[in-house]
Amino acid sequence: MGPRGKAMEEVIRQSEMIENDYVKKWKSEGKKVLGYTCVMTPAEVIEAAGLLPYRIRALGNPHTEMADAHLSRFNCSFCRSCLQLGLDGTYEFLDGLIESNGCDHLRGMFENWQYVKEFDFFHYLKVPHIMTRDAMEYFEGEMELYRKAIGEYFEVEITDRELLRVMEEYSLIRDKLRVLYEIREGENPGMTGAEALAVILLGSAVPAGVFLDLLDRVIEERRDTDISGYRARLILCGAATDEVDFIREIESVGGLVVTDALCYGSRAFWTVERGGEEDPLKALAHMYLENLLCPRMFDDYYSRRDYVLAAVSRANVDGAILVHNKFCDVHGVDNVQLRMDLEKNDIPVLQLEKEYGAKADLGRIKTRVQAFLEKIG
Amino acid sequence: MPAIKLEPSVKQGLFQRVTSVFEVINLLPDELSDEEVEGLTLLLPCDVVNTLNALFVPRARRASISFGKMLGRWLEEARRAKEEGRKVILVPFNFIPELVHAFGGAFPLTSEILTTLGVALLEGQGERYWDYAMGLGIPDHICSSSTIELGSMLAGEDFKADAIISSGPGGCDANAKIHEFVAHYLGIPQFILEKPVDDSPRGKEQYRRYVYRLVEELEEFIGEKLDEDRLRSVIENCNRATELYLELWEMRKNIPCPVPNLFSFFSYGCRFTMWGRPEAVDCLQAMVDVSRERLEAGAYPADKEIARCGWLYTGYYFDFIGLHNWMEERGYSYLCDMLNLCFPQPISTESKESMLDGLALAAANMPMTHQMGGDSMSLSWLDDAIYIVKDLNANCAIFSGHHACKQSWSVVSIIRSELMKQAGVPVLCLQGDSWSRTITPMSVIQRELDQFVKNVVTKKKKRVRPRKGRAREEG
Repeated sequence: MGPRGKAMEEVIRQSEMIENDYVKKWKSEGKKVLGYTCVMTPAEVIEAAGLLPYRIRALGNPHTEMADAHLSRFNCSFCRSCLQLGLDGTYEFLDGLIESNGCDHLRGMFENWQYVKEFDFFHYLKVPHIMTRDAMEYFEGEMELYRKAIGEYFEVEITDRELLRVMEEYSLIRDKLRVLYEIREGENPGMTGAEALAVILLGSAVPAGVFLDLLDRVIEERRDTDISGYRARLILCGAATDEVDFIREIESVGGLVVTDALCYGSRAFWTVERGGEEDPLKALAHMYLENLLCPRMFDDYYSRRDYVLAAVSRANVDGAILVHNKFCDVHGVDNVQLRMDLEKNDIPVLQLEKEYGAKADLGRIKTRVQAFLEKIG
Repeated sequence: MPAIKLEPSVKQGLFQRVTSVFEVINLLPDELSDEEVEGLTLLLPCDVVNTLNALFVPRARRASISFGKMLGRWLEEARRAKEEGRKVILVPFNFIPELVHAFGGAFPLTSEILTTLGVALLEGQGERYWDYAMGLGIPDHICSSSTIELGSMLAGEDFKADAIISSGPGGCDANAKIHEFVAHYLGIPQFILEKPVDDSPRGKEQYRRYVYRLVEELEEFIGEKLDEDRLRSVIENCNRATELYLELWEMRKNIPCPVPNLFSFFSYGCRFTMWGRPEAVDCLQAMVDVSRERLEAGAYPADKEIARCGWLYTGYYFDFIGLHNWMEERGYSYLCDMLNLCFPQPISTESKESMLDGLALAAANMPMTHQMGGDSMSLSWLDDAIYIVKDLNANCAIFSGHHACKQSWSVVSIIRSELMKQAGVPVLCLQGDSWSRTITPMSVIQRELDQFVKNVVTKKKKRVRPRKGRAREEG
């Protein structure tokens, strides 16, 4: 759909690897990598410890034979796919895992991974499902335990000063990602949805400094690019979708994904930072819990709805695709409410339930997307 | 979005239909002869008869009638509460209903019990309500235990609750999510009691804070301060029920098990509905009396108790005669399932705080909350599974494999391995829907159970030794 510059080429190439070249270089320098899965994990603390925070992904891996001996076919295939990569050695470069209670499937994935592999460093960050004063105080305590656990195991003092420095760096990244979204969401989009997802994916698998540099270059390349030849502008919302190919397939039939509300997409960085908090850990606790636009939060649907409606308006979309992996309860139900609310706002919706990474499913999905585009385009 | 057209079949809600069945049950005398049972079943549709035949089997009949009357009272009170302008609050099974009973201006209705009654007692087993929910777009992997009843509420022609308490967060996404959806769809308030997945003192204290906060929220919503005397009266009933519940548990340790298989469901049916009320005490007393008599008589429905089964999570609820009665007539005791693990403990009535602290602990001990709301699902669940096996001397364990239980499915492989290693019992993993015959029919479940017992359980050397002087019981 559009020309790729060198920076985007590099992003795409690196984002297609689980252990990308930057991770390899990091490890070759004798440095450690910590894995985590959910957006609710404050990666700043890991980075401030001098470790590389790496967000677990499966990149559309369709194989789950080893994982299926542990998780069941009633568990979401994204989690099974991640577990597979954990068990087959792909994630051998990890020096530890941060578990978080993102959903029931993820909890099971972590427990099985740890049961089989037994990481020496395995910390459970417990995140409340509600946003109340009590819950926030609890989460602030969790943040202290999180910092302490990493610091003690890796024998490093995570100072407030270093934490503040990393927080500023992450804040800058978020600002630049918003610029990237302006390019993507504008009247003449400067990049595809697949490219945007690749950029964000890479961002949680490389050191912050490296990502900042790449982001600058990508923004520079794409600022004046104009993607053409699409039939409709779409928003893609829903579950753990790190499948760049999936978006590529949607775009191959003419639906340009100009914005998203995905947890590997905009929800990973679209953060309202609260000023005035002097304690960096408390500031992080507030920032992460208050901005957690995930359906695993049980009293916050209207924030999620408003977030999607704002993106719809900002990106001037023609339609919405709501996707969830089979057996994903939180997105599966949330998408029903979201569909109803979007339709109330006259936004056409295509709701898709799919198996993660299943190439065999693509034909069906493309047909449905094509039919949807016929309807709205 | 265009409204879904209501078919005539969902226009009559599950609550209304179930209530009308209980109006008949309430008229029954405490004792029924076989002829009377036969006459009664001749009048009723096939799905209903199947359940009544299970409940009215002579060995369980007296307690079944008591259980039926307790539930009849529960439904009737909910209906009356609504008429009187009191708040009817929908709660999930893992919530402590006694907290709502402690408010004069509110009454608890448990969605999973309503679903179970709908499945057990209505022609069509509540499938029309499930279908309605699916028609709205609810995914088919969400839990039928609550969705059947909630589907009826969503159809808009059923009893409408005034609020929902959701205690799923922390223990079950599917449960929490469907209750959240219904609250939004119906435009009623939702009160959340999250279980922090944290077994440390800090996590326990946090949960206590959440319970206290919930009490404040309920007080505001109901418009009534929780009265200490009323709470004490409720807790005293809880404590009496606790004694009976534990007595029943103790009797299950006998070989053969004198407690009829159905009492597993009846006992947590009491826990999930009328706990804190005298009706639950009466019902548990009836179960204890029946079981004690059977223990003294050495009664057991088969020649020999072959399998002592601890069910690791839910059972199946769409065919009691095909599961509970069928099992014990073949010598397979259904000792309990995970829903029986609510670990009731006496609560001090010394002060309001001691009572609320006791309720917070009771809430943390509720099934699903206790296992899946733990720090580690697999470790908490495994501890409880081992407890069942060792305490009740089970010689096998069965996982019903309710397909919506993603959290249990996600760690059952660990449970299966560790239960064999640590407790020496084999685990049968089934697959099905506990509240729907459409996924795995009972005939298949029976076949799997039979093969498991014959090929695995009886081939292992058992700790199970039959008690001497036992008589075989007919019927």
